[in-house]
Amino acid sequence: MGIIFDVQRAALHDGPGLRTVVFLKGCPLCCVWCHNPESYSFHPQVSLNIERCRLCGACADACLWQAHIVSVGRHVINYELCDACGACIDACNYQALQIFGQQTTVDELMPEILADLDFYRASGGGVTFSGGEPMAQLYFTLALLKRCQDEGVHTCLDTSCYAPQDAFTRVLPYVDLFLIDYKATGSELHKQLTGVPNQTILSNLEYLYQENARIILRCPLVPGLNDQPDHLQAIAQLGIKYPNLQGIELMPYHNMGSGKRSRIGLPDHLSGLKTTSPDVIENWLTQIRQYGYDAIRVG
Amino acid sequence: MPETADLSMELRFTEAYRRHYHAPIAIREAMCLREQFPSVLTAIQPGDLLAGRIQWGLVGFSPHNNPPESGYGYYCDERKIIRALEKSSVPFDQRERGFDMLHFWKKETSQALVEAAFDDRMKPYLFRDELEPLPFNYKPMVAQPIYRMAGVFVNYTKLLNLGIPGLVEELQSHQKAALDNGQDASLYEGMLIALQVFADSCQYYARHAQELADHAAEPAAKAGLQQISICLQNISCQPPETFREALQMSWLYTLMCGTLEMGRMDVYLGDFYVRDLERGILTKDDALALMRSLWRLINDQFREVDGRVIIGGRGRPNEANADRFALLAMETARTYGRAILPQLTLRFYKGMNPLLMEKATELIGEGHTYPLLYNDDVLIPSVQFAHDVPLEDAEQYVPLGCGEIVIDHMGFGTPSGALNMLKALEITLHNGRDPITGKQMGLQTGEFHDFRSFDDLWEAYKEQLRLFIEVLADHEELEYVITGKTAPYLFLSMLYDDCLPRNLGIFDGGVRYLGGSLESYGNVNAADSLTAIRQLVYDEKRFTPEQMLQALHANFEGFEHERRMMLDCPKYGNDDPDADGMLVELHNFLCNTIRDQRQRTNLHWYLDVIINNSQNTTLARWVGASADGRKAGMPMANANTPSGGSDKKGVTALLNSVVKPSPAIHAGAVQNIRFGRDLFTNQREKFDAILGTYFDKGGCQLMVTVINRGDLERALEQPEAYRDLFVRVGGFSARFVDLPRDVQVEILSRTTY
Ligand code: SF4
Ligand code: SF4
Repeated sequence: MGIIFDVQRAALHDGPGLRTVVFLKGCPLCCVWCHNPESYSFHPQVSLNIERCRLCGACADACLWQAHIVSVGRHVINYELCDACGACIDACNYQALQIFGQQTTVDELMPEILADLDFYRASGGGVTFSGGEPMAQLYFTLALLKRCQDEGVHTCLDTSCYAPQDAFTRVLPYVDLFLIDYKATGSELHKQLTGVPNQTILSNLEYLYQENARIILRCPLVPGLNDQPDHLQAIAQLGIKYPNLQGIELMPYHNMGSGKRSRIGLPDHLSGLKTTSPDVIENWLTQIRQYGYDAIRVG
Repeated sequence: MPETADLSMELRFTEAYRRHYHAPIAIREAMCLREQFPSVLTAIQPGDLLAGRIQWGLVGFSPHNNPPESGYGYYCDERKIIRALEKSSVPFDQRERGFDMLHFWKKETSQALVEAAFDDRMKPYLFRDELEPLPFNYKPMVAQPIYRMAGVFVNYTKLLNLGIPGLVEELQSHQKAALDNGQDASLYEGMLIALQVFADSCQYYARHAQELADHAAEPAAKAGLQQISICLQNISCQPPETFREALQMSWLYTLMCGTLEMGRMDVYLGDFYVRDLERGILTKDDALALMRSLWRLINDQFREVDGRVIIGGRGRPNEANADRFALLAMETARTYGRAILPQLTLRFYKGMNPLLMEKATELIGEGHTYPLLYNDDVLIPSVQFAHDVPLEDAEQYVPLGCGEIVIDHMGFGTPSGALNMLKALEITLHNGRDPITGKQMGLQTGEFHDFRSFDDLWEAYKEQLRLFIEVLADHEELEYVITGKTAPYLFLSMLYDDCLPRNLGIFDGGVRYLGGSLESYGNVNAADSLTAIRQLVYDEKRFTPEQMLQALHANFEGFEHERRMMLDCPKYGNDDPDADGMLVELHNFLCNTIRDQRQRTNLHWYLDVIINNSQNTTLARWVGASADGRKAGMPMANANTPSGGSDKKGVTALLNSVVKPSPAIHAGAVQNIRFGRDLFTNQREKFDAILGTYFDKGGCQLMVTVINRGDLERALEQPEAYRDLFVRVGGFSARFVDLPRDVQVEILSRTTY
């Protein structure tokens, strides 16, 4: 039993080939640039898409906890009161409300994962467990990985590596490829940007590498936030230190997830951020190459 | 001052018909053709490298390429003639005879003859008494007759190999044999006259080109026109020897025989093309210029849903040469620029020269909608079964116009009826009554509340459908019988297999296979509606039948919540077992019932086609709100494509759904899909894997569009028209119209042409 917030089929960018990505809900980190803010919490959450809301008030009537405040030209949800019972979602006729987070089981998920098997085979794809942080639901993730391996589905684990080492020991045999995020250099900055320090992450990376895991390192870069020269240099150094990595990919920030934050009651502090321009990306690549790592690529 | 409508050709044509009213029908037709051609052929336009343009008369003869709204075969464009007579734009001495002509054709056109022969069972359902002239599809009908002999694919290879002299010789020998055996030889006599008409028309254009050349000031233009003239002169009396002559001859024959299809062009032109290249008398650029001229003529002369040029596939005796021509045809499409026509169609199979598919993908990647892709590995066995023909004939399958499959110069099968599946469901919920007009339109199979279970409803729906299918099948058969008695369609019969040895016209028992098809529309909406009814009314009992009807009658006004529940029911296109299962069950019943009509009729095959044209919109105008959540009058889903925006699981799920209904029990289904340019260019292997897997899983056909910036801008303005547009967003492919506005704008800024 676990909680997920989405299954995305025909995904192109989370590992090789065509993939089905299962997004597990809940994450111990909270990166400021996160594209999936609905993934932070381990609990179901109500989301309000204000563009669709007609302010009819049906949701307010349906809610036993009076969590909806609908007035002239304004609709907010008091998340303190909401217990995600879902009553308001049924009441809304305009698809303005949605619940993020669905309890599910391995048996429920497998048919959907297996449905695209032919596409995986033709493209060298498979399944990717992402999040959220899949390692935060270790037993669920482990069970999914095992089943996928039994069915011959290539598995990717998209993880921040923020989890105890013995958790990785357990999943290691069932993961064909790790997608590990390398987010910031320097524990202080890491903590500032993601909410947690980075020692655990680095030691897990070291551990997995020494265990011959196949790893792609992915570096989300946000102009002005974590693209300092020392970070770029550290990326290059990791590439040199770990020559057997399957690659290091830069993931330049794009602002496609920013609208989602306000829908679940989070401050939209990223609204000023723009999608990274090609010039900036080119500049990052040049710098990393100058630091001695040529194989750098854009994800 | 209205322009004068000179009716002299029409009057002569009518006069010839009347004079030979009791003559054998082959002679009558030949005499009519003699009046029609070359009178209706029009001038070579500046830039034309091939001769052959047509302005059909207001009265005339043609199987398919008739003026719109005028019927088929012997047709009469009543409305235009009446308008001309009313406005006094007809020369004075023609007026009296003009009215006389109008009266004469009223009962005598091919369509009138078919309608007069309707039996009692057809009349109430095909609305005999109030059949409106086209556009008939604006009427709220379940079953609509269609009048045309579409999908003419003559044997061009034979035409070009024999030329006029060779054909004359063959006809004469048949004629002699018939006479020696004491048989009627009028068919051959008529064909010989028709061939002479064709030869005369070649010479007419030869003279016309020469005249233009004489008056041309510019040396290059003069030389070009002289070349056209010589070319036509040659083919009027000898078999074509060069690529140019072969192209000219096939085009002029296409136009005069009244088809809107160009057939397997690589088969009949490949050898000419390669031989000329090898002899050094033609360069690739010359060939391209000629082909582009053909492309222009097709665009000027044909209607938008027709005009197939077919290349590739199995069953091509001269495959290597044909492949080279196929590449030329694709290069023509590429350099001609985006155009509606011709519908360049690539048949492909595992093991075919990979250059063809590469070239096709290149075109698609540049944003062309052509070629359409047809998978021989699935379609040949399907056709073998569905059409019940041997393998070697199935290899000669050709999709016509919108996608109905027939057999090249061996098997004819015009679609002669349209069935509105959603309207049929609507009347089933009202005991056979149409709730919009209040008319009894079908059988009395019981009111909605009488059905105890979903199965009762399902049985009632099947009973209604069976009725309309039978009526339409009978109508198709009747259409052929009357047509066969009326005219042998000489230009067709002389180049369709088995007509000559059998001494019979194509529709009178001559052609090897005489089949037919029925176009069904609204299949997906009907299936989704049934899924919703089963779930909400019978399984979960959320509404009573009355409540469901109330919401539908109100067009969901005041029933928004009910509508939401209907919309939330599973929909076809998401790889969902319930919704897809319903579609498959409906598909099986529909296709098999239609296919079984061959036991009731003399048709060699009678098959459903699930195609793609504007009828999903026009037929839907008179269908009320439906249980899938569709509002009254709104379009139905196109062909087998999920209804607007209801496939939410991405492209792999969509394609998984699409391959579920069997392709082996119908005569064609059309799938459209659009991808954003970025997915195509930057993720090429994945794009190829998507298509490859779809075809491996049994996908029979696909029309792929890769969208560029201009299209995205239009999609932003009219999202409804771009529901099938997929773009890459961040890490996934998404439906463009489902994205929030700001993201759409972002993608727009990102994509470059
Ligand atoms: S029910 Fe829906 S539309 Fe009405 S106020 Fe609530 S969210 Fe807005
Ligand atoms: S999910 Fe339940 S508790 Fe939360 S706002 Fe909606 S109705 Fe109220």
